[in-house]
Amino acid sequence: MDCEVPLPPPPRIRHRSPSHRPAAPSSLRKTYRLSRLDDRSSQPSSDPALFSSDDIPASGLENYHAPVSSGNRKRRYRGTWWGEMVKDPKRKRADFKDKRLVDSGVWMGSDESGADSVLPSSEASNWGEDFLVPEERLNPLAQSLNQSSLQGQQRGMGVRKVEESQEHQFARTIVNDCLERGHDSVDLSNAYLKVVPPDLLQPLQHLTKLPTVREAPVTEEVYSSLQPFLRLFLAGNGLTAVSGGLFELDALRVLSLRNNKLTDIPPAIRQLTMLQEVNLSVNRLQRLPWELLWLIKKGDLKHLTVRPNPLMPIEDAEIAQWHYPDETTPESIEGALKMSQYEGPAPEEAWAPIHVATGPVRRFNMEGFPVDETRLSGGRVSEPDRTATRVPSLREVSLLSFSRSSFFDQIPDSEMTEFPALMLRLLRYAREVRNGGGRHCSVCHRAFVIARAEWIEWWDCATYENGLKGPRTPGESLRPLPFRRLGCSWSCVPRVEIESGPECP
Amino acid sequence: MAATNSSQSEYVTIVSGDGFEFVIPRSTACVSGTIRRMLEPSSKFSEALTGRCVLENISGVVLEKVCEYFCYNQRNKNQTNVPDMDIPPELCLELLMAADYLDT
Repeated sequence: MDCEVPLPPPPRIRHRSPSHRPAAPSSLRKTYRLSRLDDRSSQPSSDPALFSSDDIPASGLENYHAPVSSGNRKRRYRGTWWGEMVKDPKRKRADFKDKRLVDSGVWMGSDESGADSVLPSSEASNWGEDFLVPEERLNPLAQSLNQSSLQGQQRGMGVRKVEESQEHQFARTIVNDCLERGHDSVDLSNAYLKVVPPDLLQPLQHLTKLPTVREAPVTEEVYSSLQPFLRLFLAGNGLTAVSGGLFELDALRVLSLRNNKLTDIPPAIRQLTMLQEVNLSVNRLQRLPWELLWLIKKGDLKHLTVRPNPLMPIEDAEIAQWHYPDETTPESIEGALKMSQYEGPAPEEAWAPIHVATGPVRRFNMEGFPVDETRLSGGRVSEPDRTATRVPSLREVSLLSFSRSSFFDQIPDSEMTEFPALMLRLLRYAREVRNGGGRHCSVCHRAFVIARAEWIEWWDCATYENGLKGPRTPGESLRPLPFRRLGCSWSCVPRVEIESGPECP
Repeated sequence: MAATNSSQSEYVTIVSGDGFEFVIPRSTACVSGTIRRMLEPSSKFSEALTGRCVLENISGVVLEKVCEYFCYNQRNKNQTNVPDMDIPPELCLELLMAADYLDT
């Protein structure tokens, strides 16, 4: 249901419901759910028709002269024309509701006309509008039934209502509105969202633009592409993390996460291959995911706004290898970080991102703890078969396939606490990674959970930061950005390192 | 099996808690850090002497998958494109426990 494009809300229908009989708690909840959350209008709203019967044998033409028994009246029954009888007229509503599973498409009588006569209680006639049914209304009922189970359910319902906060409802309204009108620019900025609810953005995948041609005169410019140019603005929301659901919108062209509280952008942003413009400014990012760079080089990304952010300055960072202007370590960083001189038309190099430097590689062991590099060189861990292999560890293999399985979401946190602490840590880690949209090795593209290597690459993307307006001028100083790269094994590290490494095959 | 040549023997036996025995090459078994340390000749553990490791807390079903992993690891050790290994989801948690125990 979630993936379906929501239809416009159906005309409001007053549902009459069997209030004169003690309602079971389950039917209470069913009514609630059916009428509102599913937006299904297949609730019975009309009485069963009254039929009379001529087909009793005694009334046939051939029996015209047969003696008429005293009781031979036309049989009347209340029920459907296909023969279903309503057994007890007192309980007909309930029976009818149980039988009527499929919408027959036949609506008899007016919904409004009979409602009051059948239902003397004014309280129950409000049930159609039960979005506003407060818990107080249900409470006296519950008390009269004296059912503690209902109380429990109500508390559950209460919790659900709290979860769907006003902000989320507001955001949902905006999204639905955009879907309905075919607006491909979804503005959820300053909507006070602390988190993006997981299923909020999914329907946008199916957004279709509506044709703009409504009436004459039809000129050239009214013809526009119906391919949605999906833009999503989540600016000014106080988001602390980006959920994986965002990265399933693979048609997204413009994404703004400006002015939030993000500390990290998940590498899964790479799935948004159609992205053309990203705004990540005014956040708490210290580094960017390397996948953004991939989107620049291999994808469509043309405008990347990342400043201001507390990004790591290259001057303070530890550098293992310089790549620009040459492979040697410069004496002074300020002097080195200059675009090389060129004359005439700008060479391709003046446009493309420049790889300035690479930071040292941090390695992690199979449990995801950083490995002490000094111990690595002398200790037993540096055996060649342990370092050079690309084979994932058994922990990694089972974590990965577990986080892909459907069981993963079904384990409640309470159950997880019973697991051994070591596993608990790994499982929580895996859940975090999965919520962020998963990870793929930046070297070998394999999906993984526990990163085994991490390093920073410094790239100058000045041309992309100003939206490809112009090439770098000769001698322009470079302001490289830190991009964090993750590797899935100790072999998935920068090439330089492998070449110089002693254990290289 | 004599204790002297078992340390050089090519195959070792790994026994699950419920009595299933898996005979696998020594180098393959040494993918696991725990088993490698058990079998280290200098350790004088009984496992090292007999070439037989009993893993009481791992069931046969899980140990079979573990051995499959050992072979998978051994086979792909020097490959650049490592294929994925299939793990039935119901075994994942137990395998994770086993992986933790076996240090692999």
